[in-house]
Amino acid sequence: MKNPYTILGVSQDAEKAEIMKAQMLAMKYKKYSLQEIQIAAKQLLDPAKRLAADFMFPAKIKARRIQIIQSNLKYQDINVNALNEDAFESLK
Amino acid sequence: MEVVIVLIILGIIGYLIYQSLPNTKFEKAQAHFIAKNYVEAINVLNGIFDKHNDAPAKFAECKLILGQGLKANSEKLKAFNEILELRKRINNTSSIAKFENIEAKTLFEIAKIQYEETKADIDKLNQNLKFIDNANKKGLETDFNTLRTKHFYQLSESYFKKAIEIEKSNKYPDAIRVYKKAIECSEKSSNSTTKHNAVARISICRLKLNESIDLQENSEVQKSDKEYQKDLFYRYSVYLLKNGDFQQAENIISTHLNFKSTDIEKLRDILKAEKANIALNQITQINQKIEQLYDNSLSTEELSKFYNSLDSIVSSLKTVDLDLSEKVLAIKPTLFNRLLTNYISIEQYGNAINLIYKYPKFWESPELLKNLGICCYGYTSKGLLSEKNYKIVISSWLTAVYSDNVILKSLEDTFWDDNYTFSLVESIGSNYSQHEEVPENVNYDEISESNISIGATQRELLQQFETIIHKQIKDHQLSIQVNDFYDKEREAIEKVVKILATDILFPTPHFAISNGLNNEIIKELDSDYEEYSNEEALEAGVPYIKNSTSSIVYQYFFANDIIDRIKSAIEAENSATIKKLNTNENKGWIEKFDNISTIVEDSLFNTIANKISEDDENEALIAVMEECIAFSSNNEKLKHQYSNYVASYCISKVNDDVIDNYKALTLMKGAYLRSPNNPRICKNFITLIRYNLMDMLNDRTKKTTDIYKILDWVKSNMSQTYKQNSSELSNARKEILQQLKEAGVDTSLFDDSPFGLIQPFGQSLNADGLKMKKVLTYLKDLGSIQETTNPLDRLRQLRQQLNLDDDLPF
Repeated sequence: MKNPYTILGVSQDAEKAEIMKAQMLAMKYKKYSLQEIQIAAKQLLDPAKRLAADFMFPAKIKARRIQIIQSNLKYQDINVNALNEDAFESLK
Repeated sequence: MEVVIVLIILGIIGYLIYQSLPNTKFEKAQAHFIAKNYVEAINVLNGIFDKHNDAPAKFAECKLILGQGLKANSEKLKAFNEILELRKRINNTSSIAKFENIEAKTLFEIAKIQYEETKADIDKLNQNLKFIDNANKKGLETDFNTLRTKHFYQLSESYFKKAIEIEKSNKYPDAIRVYKKAIECSEKSSNSTTKHNAVARISICRLKLNESIDLQENSEVQKSDKEYQKDLFYRYSVYLLKNGDFQQAENIISTHLNFKSTDIEKLRDILKAEKANIALNQITQINQKIEQLYDNSLSTEELSKFYNSLDSIVSSLKTVDLDLSEKVLAIKPTLFNRLLTNYISIEQYGNAINLIYKYPKFWESPELLKNLGICCYGYTSKGLLSEKNYKIVISSWLTAVYSDNVILKSLEDTFWDDNYTFSLVESIGSNYSQHEEVPENVNYDEISESNISIGATQRELLQQFETIIHKQIKDHQLSIQVNDFYDKEREAIEKVVKILATDILFPTPHFAISNGLNNEIIKELDSDYEEYSNEEALEAGVPYIKNSTSSIVYQYFFANDIIDRIKSAIEAENSATIKKLNTNENKGWIEKFDNISTIVEDSLFNTIANKISEDDENEALIAVMEECIAFSSNNEKLKHQYSNYVASYCISKVNDDVIDNYKALTLMKGAYLRSPNNPRICKNFITLIRYNLMDMLNDRTKKTTDIYKILDWVKSNMSQTYKQNSSELSNARKEILQQLKEAGVDTSLFDDSPFGLIQPFGQSLNADGLKMKKVLTYLKDLGSIQETTNPLDRLRQLRQQLNLDDDLPF
């Protein structure tokens, strides 16, 4: 099933008159078949079916804009060569 | 006198000759040997060394014993070598064979002395090993092997000590070579301590040479000396840190160097510093990604990689800076949303479904559940359903659509609804006003032009999905599987929705089981049953069972399963299985639930009826039916079915001569036992009784004793219906007596009186006569008619006489 809003080229808040006008235009431009246009219009003009069409728009989940992460850590020099390799020499 | 003197002389000469014989001398030597007079024995044996086969071996044995008794090792060795020299004097193969036993003992003694004198000298130990290897070990193989092992043990110790000295002089490659020899010898002598220590020391030498080592699977190191382990693991940690393997170094330090020491602290400080530096790098990289995200230069693939890397970054940051790790964790939901939106917009529904499924408790968010539904719809409409994924997709879709909260959430994003209100009255996700909270424009009022049905929207969505399933699945087999699964899931969720009046998420069985929500549903259904004794609640819970056995729903399932197993056994004609299932415990489970106990008989009856319709002359079914009757407490219908089946079977098989009259009688006894007042059964049973009596009379059966046993049982188990129909037997008796009379036989001989056997005029019955008399007596006993006083029985009798009831089959 194609999205009826896409077929008729109307927004999600389109009113009844706008939908009927869009149906006429769509039939004129013939981008979609007559049957597809009729089904789309029928769907958007029937509130229960239109609600089903609206279901297919993803739910927007509220999320905060991510900020750059600040850190108090500072780069540390590492001197591995200063380690005493014989610290636990077992043949003393 | 002269004769006597000659005899004495001959005797002396004979004695002297006897004494000089080798055997005699050997016996003498043997006597000395036993008396431990080894020197005398040697003297005697020396004289017969070449003349007696056993002499060289005995000679050597005496010398060996004498040698063993010497104090100084040098004297012993001298004596033993003299023994070995004896071999040169022996020229007889038989003597050599016997000598070799003593030679082996001598060589063993020499080897022992030489071992004692090596004083851990590696060269001497090796020399003596060669001596042992070359020695004749006849009969002493085990002793030699033990001695050999001792050498290797000593050698492993010596090599290890030598290697230590070499290592101390910093010649590590040489030390490694000698440690390896120590390992080789320790393996031959099971000297595990030296082996473990040598293995550890080799690793230490390698690290001293700055070579890499692998301690991943080296359990031997962990059995070595504690000081060696400390040295080794410390050096290894330093080596790993120098080579940048901080992770492995941390593992080694935390596992093997878990003690206080300033040197270990230094290692830990380095690790800490390194972690902080890594964390700084990670934060820098994360910040770069965030910038890319907001200037839209991060592809969906990169975003996915970034999102998936966050968990391990958070985990590593926790040990460095908890606050920082929480900051990173906090960006995850935003990234999740962005990634999910991307996936949906580019129609990567499979990735979107996987992403949602990884989100903890995603079903608790109506938004996520709605988006999951959209993805499942999109995935299916693209024709991507397969055997592997259809269950997840369909169950997720149904769970989303059947959730009223998901549809209510959808209303929030709808902008054309200002003049409308929405009603949950026909909703498929709830059966009455059970939602705790609904939006302002939602109610439970009647549907009208301005009060839109949410249920209609849900049904529209389901219908659209069913259409795409129908259109998109080309594979016939998959289509069957998908549709079957869809119907079952839908049916199951509808049952649960119908029963439960709580405001919870109603998942389909597969969704519930996959996400661990099934027990919650079962618990709710159990409670409903406990409150209302509503077995439909239990029935609805059955598809939600996974492995929990503690619920009432499970008990209900189990009781049902018993019936199913019996039905399968009927199908398979397996009476033994039904017998096994027939326990008080199983019956108890069934009795507990009215829905099940009331349908047991019908259920079994129908299964048997189906089986009969396949084959109505199947003897195996008789035993199966008997077990079913025994199982079902309410079994009149089953008994009737059984008796009629047995009667039909016997009629057909007797008429076709497939079974004999006796077998038919035994089968019909079972039918009569279960339906004693069924006229058809009684009539046929009586006919078979007559047939069997006639068979006995005419010598057509060998089962006389068994038949009379059954007939005796019938005598004491005659039902009212039997009695009403037993005239066939008394008539048969009359007919026989009539024929006898016509043949001029005195029928008084067959009277059933104790005097009938011998008549007053000397007439008596022969064997055939006695047989006839017995048959006539049984015909009389089993065929006597009792008048009934019951008007109903009289009417029945009359109907039977008029042939209004049943036909006479035989």
